[in-house]
Amino acid sequence: MVEKELQNNPYRKIDSTSAYRRLMTAYYFMVKHPAWFGKKVAWITSGGPVEPLYAMGVLPFYPENYGAMCGASRMSPSLCEAAEQKGYSHDLCSYALTDIGSFFTGKGPIGRLPKPDFLVCGNNICGTVIKWYEIQARALRVPLFFLDTPFFHDELHQHNLRYVEKQMGEYIAFLEDQMKRPFLEKRFKKVASRSFEAISLWREILDLSRNQPAPFAAFDAFIHMAPIVTLRGTRWAVRYYQKLKRELEERVKKGLGAFAREEIRLVWDNIPIWYDIRNLSKLLSSNGAVLVADTYTSAWAMEEPDLTYSLDGLARAYATIHLNRGLGYKMQKIATLIEKFGAHGFIMHSNRSCKPYSLGQYDMRREVTRLTGKPGLIIEADHTDSRSYSPQQVEKQILIFLDIIRNKQQGST
Amino acid sequence: MEKKSSLIRELERVASLEYKDIGSHLLGDRIPIGFFCPYVPEELIHAAGALPFRLMGPPARMSHVQAHLPPNCCHLVKSSLEIFLRGELDFLKGIIFSHTCDTMQGLSDIWAFQKRLPFQFNLMMPTNVNSETSRPYWKAEIERFKGFIEKNIGEVTPQNLTTAIQLFNRIRKNIREIYQFRRTLPEELTGADFANIIRAQYLMDRNQYQFLLSELLELLSHQKKKEGHLVPLYLAGNMVHSAPYFSLIEEAGGTVVSDDLCSGARFLRLMTREDIDPIEALTQRYLSSFLCPTKHGGSNDHIETLIREVEEAGATGVIFLFYKYCESHYFDYPDLKTALETKSIPSLLLEVDDPATSQGQLKIRIQAFVGMLSPI
Ligand code: SF4
Ligand code: SF4
Repeated sequence: MVEKELQNNPYRKIDSTSAYRRLMTAYYFMVKHPAWFGKKVAWITSGGPVEPLYAMGVLPFYPENYGAMCGASRMSPSLCEAAEQKGYSHDLCSYALTDIGSFFTGKGPIGRLPKPDFLVCGNNICGTVIKWYEIQARALRVPLFFLDTPFFHDELHQHNLRYVEKQMGEYIAFLEDQMKRPFLEKRFKKVASRSFEAISLWREILDLSRNQPAPFAAFDAFIHMAPIVTLRGTRWAVRYYQKLKRELEERVKKGLGAFAREEIRLVWDNIPIWYDIRNLSKLLSSNGAVLVADTYTSAWAMEEPDLTYSLDGLARAYATIHLNRGLGYKMQKIATLIEKFGAHGFIMHSNRSCKPYSLGQYDMRREVTRLTGKPGLIIEADHTDSRSYSPQQVEKQILIFLDIIRNKQQGST
Repeated sequence: MEKKSSLIRELERVASLEYKDIGSHLLGDRIPIGFFCPYVPEELIHAAGALPFRLMGPPARMSHVQAHLPPNCCHLVKSSLEIFLRGELDFLKGIIFSHTCDTMQGLSDIWAFQKRLPFQFNLMMPTNVNSETSRPYWKAEIERFKGFIEKNIGEVTPQNLTTAIQLFNRIRKNIREIYQFRRTLPEELTGADFANIIRAQYLMDRNQYQFLLSELLELLSHQKKKEGHLVPLYLAGNMVHSAPYFSLIEEAGGTVVSDDLCSGARFLRLMTREDIDPIEALTQRYLSSFLCPTKHGGSNDHIETLIREVEEAGATGVIFLFYKYCESHYFDYPDLKTALETKSIPSLLLEVDDPATSQGQLKIRIQAFVGMLSPI
C-alpha cells in the first residue's frame, strides 16, 4: 500500500551518494588495515575532539557510527544478545551493547572491529560512554584518555571552561606520549580549519532545507552525516560536502525537493530509528510529509566556530555541544528549528536506551507546542535494537498525527 | 535493654515516616534542603543552619510521573519525581542535585522546569577523579556552592563549617563502629534495625542523630561478643537501605557484614581531614577514593575496590542489589562478577524496583544463594 502511494510521491536520489559510498568504503578500508598505511587507530566517542588525532596522524574509529551501521543493516539485535549473554543488561545503550557484542563475536557489517591502539572518550554526549570505554580499555588492554566536560544545565561558568581547556593540554600530552612525537601546532591549525570548513558546509547544507520544497530530507542527512562525524578535519570531508552542497543548490535553483510532493514539513528529535528509516521515510512521504530538519545531525553544525583554530576554542566547542546542555536550551533549539524551517509539527523519538536524548521530552513536547503553536508526537523506539519496537503502533500514531496537522492546515486556510 | 530498644524504635520511627508526614513530625528550626547523593557536601548545608534532607527512593505508587519520564528510569528517580509532583516535598525549601548519571541529570532539568521549589542548585562534581586538573575545578565548584548557600540560606562561617565537619566525622566514626558490631553481634542488632539506623541519619537533625547514635553505641559496647553462625555477605549496589532487604537476607541465614551501598559504607569513605582548610578538605575527600561507578578513577577502580573490601570484610559471598535501569552499575557488573569468580567468591545479582513490591521474587533466590554458601 505504502509502496504504491510512494509512486505518487517519488524520492529524488542524490547523485553524490555514490561518492559518499566510495568515501566511506575507503575510510573503513583504511581503518581496518591501519598498518598498511602506517597509521595507529584510536576509538573515539562521537562528541570527542577528533582534530588532535588527525593532526597526529591517528585514524579515528567511531563505535557509535559503527553501531548505527549495525542498526541500519539490522544486525544489532543479535549483537546485543551476544553482549547480554555475557551479563550485560538489555536496558543499556544499544550502541554500547552492539559494540560489545561485536567485539565478543567478531561479527558485524565489517567483520572484526579494528583493534585500537588507545581510546579517547568524551562525556559531552552521555555518561554511558565512560562505562563503555572503561570496559573496552580493560578488555583490549589499551590506554584510555577521558575528556571530562561537565554538563551545563543553564550557565557555562568560567572555572568549568578552564577545566576543559586544561584537559585539552592533558589530551595533547597523552597523544604525544602514545605517538612518541611532538604535537605540531601548525598541523593542528590546518586540521582545525578543515574541520570548521566541513562543519560550515554541513550547516549550509542543512540550512538549504529551509527552502520549500526541501532539497535534502532529514533521512538523507542521517545517511550523509557519516563524514562529518568520522572524517571531520580531513580534506576528504570538505571535498565531499562541497560536492553535495553543489548538487543540492542546483536542486534549490530548479525548485526541486527531496520528494516531489511536500505538504507537511516536520522536525525530528533524537537519534534516528536506524533499522526503520526506510519504512518511516516511505510512510511519511506517501502522506506528503517530509522531515526537513532534526536535532541529531544539526549537532555537528556548530553555529559559531572559533576561527582562531586554537585548542581553547576547541575546548569551548566540545564543552557546549547540544547533548551537553540543559532542557531549556534543547527546547529553544527545537522551537527555533520549527520556526526557521517553517515546520508544521515535530516528531520526538523517545529512545529507550539513550537517556540524555530522551529524558525531558514529555515536558519538552508541551513547552515547544506552547512556544510555537505546532503539535508534537512522541514515538517509542530504540535507535539500533528493534526488539522492543512496534512498527504497526508507530505507523498508526504517525497517521493520526498527520491527520491532526492536515486538519489544522485546513482550519487555518 | 529497654533503653536500647527505645533508641532503636525511635530511629525506626524516623526511618519509616512517609515524606508527606515528615514536615510536621521532624523538623526543628533548621530549614530542610533536599539532596540525593553523597557528592553533596552535607556539612556546608548544616553549617549554614539548614537540614540536609536526603531523598532515598521511598515506596510510591506512580500516578503523576508517567507524564514526565519514560518508564525505564530507576526507582529512585521515578519515586522522587512522583512524590515531588504530588506536592509531598513542598516542605523543602530547596534542592541540590549533584552530577552523577544521565538519569539524574535529566531529572534535575525536569525538576527545575516544574518551578515548584524556591531554589535548586546543580553541583557539578567532575566525572574524572583521576586527573590533576579535577581538583582546582572541583574546589571552585564547591566554593560556588558555598556562595549559593550563603545567598539563599545563611552565612557559613569557618567556625561553623569546622564544627559541622567534626560532627559528620563523628557520625561516620560511630557508624563504622555500628558496622563492627554487626560483624561481632549480628543477633543484637538485626539487619532491619541496622537499615533503619542508617536511613534515619539522612532524615533528621544530625546533632540529634549523633546523640542517639552514641547512646546506642554506649549500650552496645557492654554486650559480649558471640560466635556468629550467619553467612557473612557483602552487599553492593545503590541506595537500597530498606529494612525488608536486610530482613530477607537474615531470614535466609545470612548477614551483611559490609556494603558498598550509596546510602551505606560509601559514606564512610568521606571522612574529612580536620587539620587543613575546610573547603580544601571537602574537595580532597571526593578525589581520594572510589565512590561510585558514575565516576572515572581509572578503568579498574571499581573492581579493585570491591575485591579489597570484600576480602577485608571476610565476606564469603556478594549480593548485587541494583535498581532496575541503573546503567552505571549494570555496565560494571559483568567484569565485577568475573573478578569475584577469579577469587572464588560467588555472587548473586538481584534487580529491584520499588522496595515495597519487589520482595516476593527475591526471597527464593536469596535463600538459595545463602543456602549454597552455608557450611554443611
Ligand atoms: S547513551 Fe545515547 S548519547 Fe550515549 S552513546 Fe548511547 S546513544 Fe549515544
Ligand atoms: S546512579 Fe543509578 S540508582 Fe542512582 S540515580 Fe542514577 S540510575 Fe538511579
